[in-house]
Amino acid sequence: MKETVYITGASSINPLSLQEPDYKLYITDPAARRRMSRAVKMGVTAALQCLSGAGEMPGAIITATGLGCLSDTEKFLRNLIENKEELLNPTPFIQSTFNTVGSQIAMLTKNRAYNNTYVHRGISFENALLDGMMMLAGGEAENVLVGSYEELTATSFDIQSRLGFFRKGGKSGEGAQFFLLSAKEKSPCILRDLAFAFRPAPDELPEKTAAFLLKNKLLKTDIDMLISGDGGNEEEFTCYDKIEKNFPETPVVKYKHLTGDYQTVSSFALWLGVQIMGKADSPKRILIYNHFRNINHTFILLENSLHHTI
Amino acid sequence: MHFINELKTHIIEELNLEELTPDEMDIDAPLFGNEGLGLDSIDVLELILILEKYYGLKVGTPEEGKQIFRSVRTIADYITANQPQ
Repeated sequence: MKETVYITGASSINPLSLQEPDYKLYITDPAARRRMSRAVKMGVTAALQCLSGAGEMPGAIITATGLGCLSDTEKFLRNLIENKEELLNPTPFIQSTFNTVGSQIAMLTKNRAYNNTYVHRGISFENALLDGMMMLAGGEAENVLVGSYEELTATSFDIQSRLGFFRKGGKSGEGAQFFLLSAKEKSPCILRDLAFAFRPAPDELPEKTAAFLLKNKLLKTDIDMLISGDGGNEEEFTCYDKIEKNFPETPVVKYKHLTGDYQTVSSFALWLGVQIMGKADSPKRILIYNHFRNINHTFILLENSLHHTI
Repeated sequence: MHFINELKTHIIEELNLEELTPDEMDIDAPLFGNEGLGLDSIDVLELILILEKYYGLKVGTPEEGKQIFRSVRTIADYITANQPQ
């Protein structure tokens, strides 16, 4: 992609904050707010926070989620069982759809532009990001809002526990992150490229990394910081270890011990990268590597615009 | 009064009016339109479900519904007049 993509806005609602934002301050209409579940409030608020400093309306709203609005889905399914498939409340059904957050953002900001939601398990966010980058590259929009949301409920925690996800150090998590990507307005952080790998063998990872860097005319030594998705889960460690050992001299930043793991957690890694790029002594290039349950592996490359070479 | 409070609680819970308490709900205030609670068409479905689920009552026609769902009091009157003994 030839168009330089700047990340001009970034917001996050994550477990690191001691308390969630006061949603009333962002979603001021009580009628709109009352049907929103926590996931919707989180997603919409993160998007509105991201847009708060933006001068122009985004030319696209692209949302990602692995599991969607879980609490409403659970409520709907519980009603289905308890009421023997009769007398079903419409609200949880309507609100349980994956694109609820994207459509609520559009309605609250009166934005009629392209609106899409990606639901691709562990690569939902990266697909949304790719769509946004392609829209900018194709000149279909000058700036796009891209983000993700995921909520953790008591039921999903219970199911993950029964499936054994926590047996070897895995942690559950949740969060909502949104980004404003622009081809017009500049910022310190450039979203240079991203790549996917489906079920690679751990031994293939150094080669995949090298190919991704080569595509961007870079060498391993050009990477100044690695943001690794390793969160202490023994079952997922091998691939992270392969990547980290592939960059022996590069500082490694980890975050999942703070955020937990979820399908769209790489959006938190990107948010972290954007924060780091905004600092005065930021690295030139950051590589973000993540995989979800060893299935979908992704690389995101960030570059500081002050050092931009292409 | 207990019955009215119970009805208000069902309305608050099923319609997600969490910022409202039963005491704050004016029994005669219009449920729809700009005055009063400002409910919408999805709420009508929820109100129909409340009548069916908790009171065993089915609303016959849309015209009947318009009369029943004017206020909390009209709903309560409908339940009192039609609830199976």
